[in-house]
Amino acid sequence: MEELDLLKKDWQKNENSFEQVSEMEIYKMLHKKSSSIVKWILIISILEVLLWTGISLLFNTDDYLKEVHGEAYIEYLKFLTVFNYAVVAVFILIFYKNYKNISTITSTKQLMKDILKTRKTVQYYVWYNLGMIVFSMIMGFILAFSLNPKVHELTLNTKVFTLTILLCGAFLLLFVGLFWLFYRLIYGILLKKLYKNYHELKKIDL
Amino acid sequence: MSEGLEQSFVKQLRENQNIIHKICRLYTAGDDAHKDLFQEITIQLWKAFPKFRGDSKFSTWAYRVALNTAITLYRKSTKSVQTVDYEKHQFFISQEDYNYEEEERIKLMYQAVYQLNDIEKALVFMYLEDKDYTEISETLGISEVNARVKMNRIKGKLKKILNP
Repeated sequence: MEELDLLKKDWQKNENSFEQVSEMEIYKMLHKKSSSIVKWILIISILEVLLWTGISLLFNTDDYLKEVHGEAYIEYLKFLTVFNYAVVAVFILIFYKNYKNISTITSTKQLMKDILKTRKTVQYYVWYNLGMIVFSMIMGFILAFSLNPKVHELTLNTKVFTLTILLCGAFLLLFVGLFWLFYRLIYGILLKKLYKNYHELKKIDL
Repeated sequence: MSEGLEQSFVKQLRENQNIIHKICRLYTAGDDAHKDLFQEITIQLWKAFPKFRGDSKFSTWAYRVALNTAITLYRKSTKSVQTVDYEKHQFFISQEDYNYEEEERIKLMYQAVYQLNDIEKALVFMYLEDKDYTEISETLGISEVNARVKMNRIKGKLKKILNP
């Protein structure tokens, strides 16, 4: 293409036409903070882990079970807690490994893949937590219906019972929905450009 | 990090800064954005510098980190480019061989290149820098054949932008 070669000529001719940055200015830049998306993903991920671990700690079911005389379930719950901590530990390990793997020296495609992988790890963790919370809630409802005499009365009236189940379901849906929306928003803003460019690169190699 | 390392980095970066300027010229519009991206690339280069072993040229290594930063890590959108006043942008036509018609054509070409997406710009950038397809394909992480195919498509796209 003739035009492109014309541009190339001009491009190379004007190689030295930029206002030069001094060594002093470069030194200053080295101590400025990066605003790269990797840094933001790291910050958001740490916040997410803290938030979700915090939320799962908030759900103290021991007292509740004692209250409704469901002591038999406490052992299961202990197992669940240990399992939960193990999952958090494994997750943090994988996340750290993925994060360390991000390198600007690899190819553009690989770099994008690595960043998306890091984000995916956090995403899985969040989905895991969400699943656990929904599971706990459902178990809580079931236990409440079967153990708590006050709540058990509700099951005797089919109309009231259906209404209660519907309300609980709606509450769960709303909870998951709101969360999903919030999640889309954060990462939508942060990763829009990256996704676009990643798909563009993938398209070339189809 | 040791002071010697910092010194050596700053010196090499100053000597090779035009690489970064050229990438900023393609990916940003306006002085502020140019400076902003220049700074982010500098930070990323400095972060990656301990892994630079000197078995490749500083410039070759810097190309990759700088392009990766512009395409992947830099968060600010390049969309505003569309609305930029091209006249304000310096196109560095030297005075001696002033040729009005050629100047116009070059200006139109720059405007056309600005309308390409980030990945296409990267290919054009390496083409303008006289990089071979092996290096282009390795830098972007695509196959050499597909890099060639894509480059031909970009040429077609540029032609279409110039002669709609």
